[in-house]
Amino acid sequence: MNKHDFICINCPLSCSLELYEEGGRVQEVKGADCKLGEKYAAEEYANPRRILTTTVKARNGIVSLLPVRSTEAIPKRLVRDAVRALAGVVVEAPVKRGQVVLKDILETGIDVVASRHLGKMPASSEN
Amino acid sequence: MQQMEQQSIKRKHDEFSLPLPASAEVVVIGGGVVGCAIARELTRFTPDVVVLEKENDVADAASKANNAMVHSGMGEKKGTLKAHLNVRGNRMYDRFVEGLNVEFKRDGMFIVITPRSLSFPWLRWIPAWLVRQWMRVCLPWVLVAYGRGKGIKGLKRVRRKKLLRLEPNLTPEVISGIYDPNYGRISPYKLTIALAEHAVINGARVCLNTEVMGVRVEDGEVRGVITDRGEIATKRVVNAAGCFADEVARMAGADGFRIHARKGATLLFDKEISTVVNHTISELRVPLAGHSKGGGLMPTIDGPLQLGPTAIEVEDKYDTSVSREEIDWILDRFLYLIPTFPKSSVICAFTGVRAPTEQEDFVIGVSDKVKGFVNAAGTQSPALASAPAIAEMVLGVLQGLGVSRTLREDFDPVRPGKPVFSKLSDAERQKLVEEDPRWGHVICRCEYVTEAEIVNAIHGIIPATTVDAVKRRTRAGMGRCQGGFCGPRVSAILARELGIPVTQVTKDGEGSPLFCCESKDLLKEVV
Amino acid sequence: MRQTRQPEVAVIGAGPAGLAAALAAAQAGLGDVMLIERDLELGGILPQCIHDGFGSIVFKEALTGPEYAQYFIDMVGRSNIDVLLDTMVLDLTAERKITAINSRDGVLEIEPKAVILAMGCRERTRHQILIPGFRPAGVITAGAAQRYMNIEGLIPGRSVVILGSGDIGMIMARRFTLEGAQVEGVYEAMDHPGGLTRNVVQCLQDYEIPLHLSHTVTFIHGRKRVEAVSVAEVDADFEPKMETERRIPCDTLMLSVGLIPENELSRKAGIEIDPATSGPVVDERMETSVPGIFACGNVVNVYDLVDYVTQSAEVAGAGAAEYVLQGRKREAPIRVVPGRNVKYVVPQIISDFDRDISFYFRVEHPEKAVVTRVSADGEVLSQKKAKMVRPPEMVKAKAGPDALKDGHKVSEIIVDVNAGE
Repeated sequence: MNKHDFICINCPLSCSLELYEEGGRVQEVKGADCKLGEKYAAEEYANPRRILTTTVKARNGIVSLLPVRSTEAIPKRLVRDAVRALAGVVVEAPVKRGQVVLKDILETGIDVVASRHLGKMPASSEN
Repeated sequence: MQQMEQQSIKRKHDEFSLPLPASAEVVVIGGGVVGCAIARELTRFTPDVVVLEKENDVADAASKANNAMVHSGMGEKKGTLKAHLNVRGNRMYDRFVEGLNVEFKRDGMFIVITPRSLSFPWLRWIPAWLVRQWMRVCLPWVLVAYGRGKGIKGLKRVRRKKLLRLEPNLTPEVISGIYDPNYGRISPYKLTIALAEHAVINGARVCLNTEVMGVRVEDGEVRGVITDRGEIATKRVVNAAGCFADEVARMAGADGFRIHARKGATLLFDKEISTVVNHTISELRVPLAGHSKGGGLMPTIDGPLQLGPTAIEVEDKYDTSVSREEIDWILDRFLYLIPTFPKSSVICAFTGVRAPTEQEDFVIGVSDKVKGFVNAAGTQSPALASAPAIAEMVLGVLQGLGVSRTLREDFDPVRPGKPVFSKLSDAERQKLVEEDPRWGHVICRCEYVTEAEIVNAIHGIIPATTVDAVKRRTRAGMGRCQGGFCGPRVSAILARELGIPVTQVTKDGEGSPLFCCESKDLLKEVV
Repeated sequence: MRQTRQPEVAVIGAGPAGLAAALAAAQAGLGDVMLIERDLELGGILPQCIHDGFGSIVFKEALTGPEYAQYFIDMVGRSNIDVLLDTMVLDLTAERKITAINSRDGVLEIEPKAVILAMGCRERTRHQILIPGFRPAGVITAGAAQRYMNIEGLIPGRSVVILGSGDIGMIMARRFTLEGAQVEGVYEAMDHPGGLTRNVVQCLQDYEIPLHLSHTVTFIHGRKRVEAVSVAEVDADFEPKMETERRIPCDTLMLSVGLIPENELSRKAGIEIDPATSGPVVDERMETSVPGIFACGNVVNVYDLVDYVTQSAEVAGAGAAEYVLQGRKREAPIRVVPGRNVKYVVPQIISDFDRDISFYFRVEHPEKAVVTRVSADGEVLSQKKAKMVRPPEMVKAKAGPDALKDGHKVSEIIVDVNAGE
């Protein structure tokens, strides 16, 4: 059996979890104070996912960056590549909250959307 | 890539500094308080003065990081040039700052006597009560007499009861003290900037980012000054290069002294707690360890309270670091005086490097080896207090070397001040906003500094081209958050006014960029 | 011409606290609410907190900071709240007179019937924790770094050492990494992480960023720009063990070493400050010691969740509206006293014990399997079990007068934490 260590993030107890698997099949989770911990370890082992949050460049906005997020969690291993894929994206203000900035990022079927409204910089401004 | 960026910073700053003049009647090397005082005094007689400063601003070394005291001379050994010029300089101060529009307060200092004041080993052979009685009754008179002997006037003995009434937070262990009414407070960098600007108003040229590489001497006479930006022909050079005065003297072949660096660290406290003391307070400590006048608790003219300084010999003339030992020393030494002191209110710790010679005295006068080469060196503390007298003495020497002795009729006695938002009434503020809306745009939230003041500083007579230079002129970033809030805005205004990308804005000139690049640039590099 | 305005309520600061307070005051029936903000846009710190994890209590979902703010900004947009942006409050008196300034109107004199303080907090700097060394460019607080990276589009450095493992310290470690910078390590003086486990896992472990517990920065090297920092282990009294000192090359030192409530205006108005929270002493309606001046959010105490900030602001907004509409005469207050393993409690006093009150408190040390309890003169009003309590995480307890057996007049309320079972 192979052992994998996790720390549960569900409550301040922060249980140290030991997951045992054989050939990819979870056999046992030790150290969890409750069911949530067991479930968490199994998910982190099999398919860890994270919400992606980063920024993209914005043209003519009142600020120069637009914060964005993935509508759902994406596989953890794709986070860095996703951020890099978004590094080249430039949006034009105004942008509405929820507006899709990049569709189906890295073929995950998940969209990346704007986290805020971004108004247009008034034309008269010096900046 | 990095090199290219740095070159363009340099070029941009050059546009903001002056083209190097081909010649000058007098060249002053060093834009500290001494150099700028000399330049200003010279312009009363001749406009043809050039000040060379290697940094991006005047007052960018010891003149920005000292304890901001105009000493009376109490701390100096009788018979030294330092003692003489200090006592004289102090007396000259009110006239010296006239027309500069720099705040100066002469509100004196208490020198307090505590059980720690005397630490002679032989004291333990004398009964403790007797020592205490002597410290209470006789020692204040000894101090008064000691000061009078050096020409310091107005010293008064102060009893314990009165001390505690005037300074209720003072340690009850205090035994007695004296009051020295001559002590004054000033912002040393604001004074230096004002002196430089006053000199420029009267014709002088201040060349920043200009480092002296050599002094041209022919037949034992000065002929010119060689810089990294070209050469200036001149017959008279004043060496006011602070820590580097020995190196400049050596360039001219006029050596004969060595400057060793001695740093002094100071802690600065939130102005909110400035009321813990009402006056500058220094504790008598004899014999003193090392070369320090002992320092004290000093309410600065701008509000925050200063504690320090230390006195530590260092190898490196650029060693402006503060060590853990120094912080502990300062807290231990001065918090004794105010037991209830809220030491968690520190907002800044800084260090200046003093420029003493081996003899620990000022070296002022014309070199006997090189005609036309005048030293104003060894200018450690109390150089700030002595500056008027040093300038007067150097002026005399230069007049002996041919500079005019006739006061210029067209000398403008005033360096106009600019409004300081935080000190204005609401009616005055309203009037300014109506003239220029930037007066209504507060950038620094701790010190209430407006966009107008920052723009004024950037386009000042001596232009502020860095975040630190803006800070020295306006106090933006000098408050309790130390630029956490206003940093982004000050950088953006600097970039806009200087016409450079924000990524090229620096804290204190070349080599101190605030940012490495724009967002996403690093991600593109990695690919 | 100087202008004088007389709104019913003036809210100072339009971060999460100010937005919610202004909305709550308007919802409680006030038609003339003024919201004063020194920045160019609404939202305070939230627009730069681009990570998710906000709103689990108020919205029951994990929003990003900008999304959380946007909800309130939209609500304010639909209300008739008078918003003054880019406006700096210069003075506040005990008589509730506000002096403010901006570029459009010049000096404004604002004389509201009630004031709500919502100025938030500021960051501790390297000097406040007395880190020795030089003063080069490249020493930056976490909030400032976050603003540069997430709003201004500027990267402060490419190799970063972080001091402090509070949530924002760890979140910025991830942010620097995702932007392509190298985080050399996160150093923490305590023997446990300062922030949530979730952030230890998702911000540090996910990116293999080392976390060095019981360590501090002992020296900042570099005269012009940071060249390196020295770090060392600390002993139980947080004193560095100099024999363990080592030098870490880097170009940036980012500090996440604590937040302090911003109470300069409160002091100008002569408001009583609680030394335990560094914020005003408030009662159950978030009214300060000065009648008609209310306070909420991080001005009162640094909350760890924005949801709590919003909740405290809703209480303050409703309280201010009640004050304006009905007037208020406060009686001798009931003191709220921190009991066993409780460092401090907000509110600190209760003027009218006429409703359910949320008590927010911090514990002094971590403790497992506990019961948190609110009692009045020895009579238990409410109690709740918790698996674990930790100093960085605020605990909330609710209690009301209905639990009192005979409705007698209470003289003291104690909040404490006791071993469970």
